[in-house]
Amino acid sequence: MDRLDRYADLIVRVGANVQPGQTLFVVSLVEHAELARALARAAYEAGARYVDVRYGDQHVRRSMIERADDDVLTDTPEWLVTHAKAMGDGQALVMIAGEAEPELLADLDQERVGRARPLAYLETLNTAQLARTVSWTIAAFPHEGWATQVFGEPDVERLWQAIADTVRLDEPDPVAAWREHDARLQERARQLDALDLDRVHFSGPGTDLTIGMLPGVSWSGGGITTTAGVRHMPNMPTEEVFTSPDWRRTEGTVRSTRPLALGGTVVHDLELRFEGGKAVAVHASTGEEAVRSQLQTDEFANRLGEVALVDSTSRVGRTGITFFNTLFDENATCHIAYGTSVLFDAKEYEGLSPDELRERGANVSNVHTDFMIGGPEVDVDGIARGGETIAILREDTWQLSS
Amino acid sequence: MAVRVGANVGEGQVVFIGTQIEHAPLARALARHAYAAGARYVDVQYADPHVRRAMIELGPDEALGHSPAWLIERAQAMAGNAMLATTGDPEPHLLADLDGERVGRARQTDLARTALALITERKLNWTGVAYPNEGWARQVLGEPDVERLWDAVAYCTRLDEDDPVEAWRVHMDRLGRRAEALNALGLDRLTYRGPGTELELGLLERSRFGSALFHTAAGRAYVANMPTEEVFTTPDARRAEGFVTSTKPLAVGGDVVEGLRMRFEGGRIVDVQAERGADVIRGQLEADENASRLGEIALVDGTSRVGRTGLTFFDTLYDENATCHIAYGAAVGGHEGDDPDDGINVSTVHTDFMIGGPEVDVDGVTRDGRVVPLLRDDVWQLPE
Repeated sequence: MDRLDRYADLIVRVGANVQPGQTLFVVSLVEHAELARALARAAYEAGARYVDVRYGDQHVRRSMIERADDDVLTDTPEWLVTHAKAMGDGQALVMIAGEAEPELLADLDQERVGRARPLAYLETLNTAQLARTVSWTIAAFPHEGWATQVFGEPDVERLWQAIADTVRLDEPDPVAAWREHDARLQERARQLDALDLDRVHFSGPGTDLTIGMLPGVSWSGGGITTTAGVRHMPNMPTEEVFTSPDWRRTEGTVRSTRPLALGGTVVHDLELRFEGGKAVAVHASTGEEAVRSQLQTDEFANRLGEVALVDSTSRVGRTGITFFNTLFDENATCHIAYGTSVLFDAKEYEGLSPDELRERGANVSNVHTDFMIGGPEVDVDGIARGGETIAILREDTWQLSS
Repeated sequence: MAVRVGANVGEGQVVFIGTQIEHAPLARALARHAYAAGARYVDVQYADPHVRRAMIELGPDEALGHSPAWLIERAQAMAGNAMLATTGDPEPHLLADLDGERVGRARQTDLARTALALITERKLNWTGVAYPNEGWARQVLGEPDVERLWDAVAYCTRLDEDDPVEAWRVHMDRLGRRAEALNALGLDRLTYRGPGTELELGLLERSRFGSALFHTAAGRAYVANMPTEEVFTTPDARRAEGFVTSTKPLAVGGDVVEGLRMRFEGGRIVDVQAERGADVIRGQLEADENASRLGEIALVDGTSRVGRTGLTFFDTLYDENATCHIAYGAAVGGHEGDDPDDGINVSTVHTDFMIGGPEVDVDGVTRDGRVVPLLRDDVWQLPE
């Protein structure tokens, strides 16, 4: 098998974990057809009943953003809601990431670009993901435009190698390597749960941040198991253990340790100050406005929805590359996200309305933006409910053991 | 031109573009122009023959005819709106090495039925246009000379005229007059005589010849094919006798059928032979119980711009406009409640194949028994 087929096979078997008789939905850009086709072959070989590939086209989207009426920007055609519902009916889904032309929408009205999202489609899919009725994954495919953004030259092969490395395609048995990796991340999550933390504390240059934990919300890492018992990997790669914090209890300052790609803008040197859970001050050397406008999207956009821990064993971090793509960059080092929470593994919170969730401290917003705050100079501690302080990360090295 | 003359997109319509990955540059241009023409929303659906190939080769039997519910819903949403479809196969032999019977069965029957119903109920203004690409150019010209193929496409679609929109108006008027002249004859049947062809096709009393200038039920005019050179009608699905030899290769479902010969008895195709690709045709004819009956008769003469290029395009949109053709499967311009036993065919298939040329004489026989020459040496015999 060549690299493309091995990658597709890994995505099908580990990422979405396609079961015999399932339909696999593939959501791809036109430019990623090569991977979509390989996924179709791999899925049928794995026993898929049907493979349904839907291609999006950013050029067509550009025409819409330029010319369509305001209400069309956020509309979802009803057949696309049906499409998303079908995925949530116990089927499998692969979303292919990686911008082909990162600058394509840069000259348009950014407010319209930001708003041009088929809300009902995204909501239906999000509901299925939270209800764990779809086994889904996001994996990337390299393209010239993306390679140019990352390396300054269209070196697609180098980007391919970086992707292959971060998804463990270099291992003799990538499927087994992923099982092991999944187990290790789960073990870390279990270690953190065992500490019964009240809050975590990040300290380093420009960072002195305390984030309150939510009772009853566990740490997660690696895969998710659907209600039908299918274990899948939502992100390939993934290196994080993460949880949803209490949106009311974030205090202090934080400095981003990596650039952040935000809808066609790159944010450098982001600094935020939190009071009573809310981001009250924003500074950045570039892209400050893009962050500020996101934080104002809705009332809860400026509260945290995720805290994630990553150490230096991360294959993404080890590449030393800024991918300008959250799928990768968030797995390079510790990060937090403002906006909606990530309650994939919180049974007590299942089925609650947005208001009920917020009442219990879990954030709900239309925004979810991860930004990187970890690194060798940033210490991470946990403070247990009993008051004891436990070192979690020192010099990018995991401190807990089972 | 495809947006304004072909589909004639109206202000506030949703425009559905059915295309494939390799036609993305044209699909993107159509989307831009559709928005410029006042479209409310443009929905591009990319088909991928490679994904289809994976299904035929590796998928289970039940996958072959499967129409996803959301695609059916999408097709239903086309009612009252506009559609543009692109052709020009970038990999004509992609499916050639697969089991022809499975290729023939791999049709989204429910989806096809939904789309055909909208067309026959005249709820959709639509057109088909081709996109020149390397693979298609290689097949047509023997080399990947996309530029030369573009020239041929521009000529056939009258893009080479100073005022293509006006040229199209004149052209459609002429085809309209041909149809009227045929309708005035009161024809009972057509006969075809040529090498390997001795065919008699019955017409219905209500059969009316027309051009591809259609009107939706709501009164919007559109040209369903670009190019179009034909005048056509619905034959009597019960009356076809004799044998016919196709005069051009036929591209169907990713394969090319050559040297196709068929025998008709009592309106049905009872025997299919071909030098190549016979199984694909047989697979299609088995798609449903009336796929083997005829749904269209079309007349084209030597003034056809498509015919004049002298090229075989291996693309029905073009080749059917090069010369006379017939189609097995669904009737053109059929309606809800049509009954094949009443003469108008109903099927989920509609495949045109070419049977005309300078060596094939076509006559009309009127209901009172008069024989009227229609085509001799590819020249139109009725006054124009």
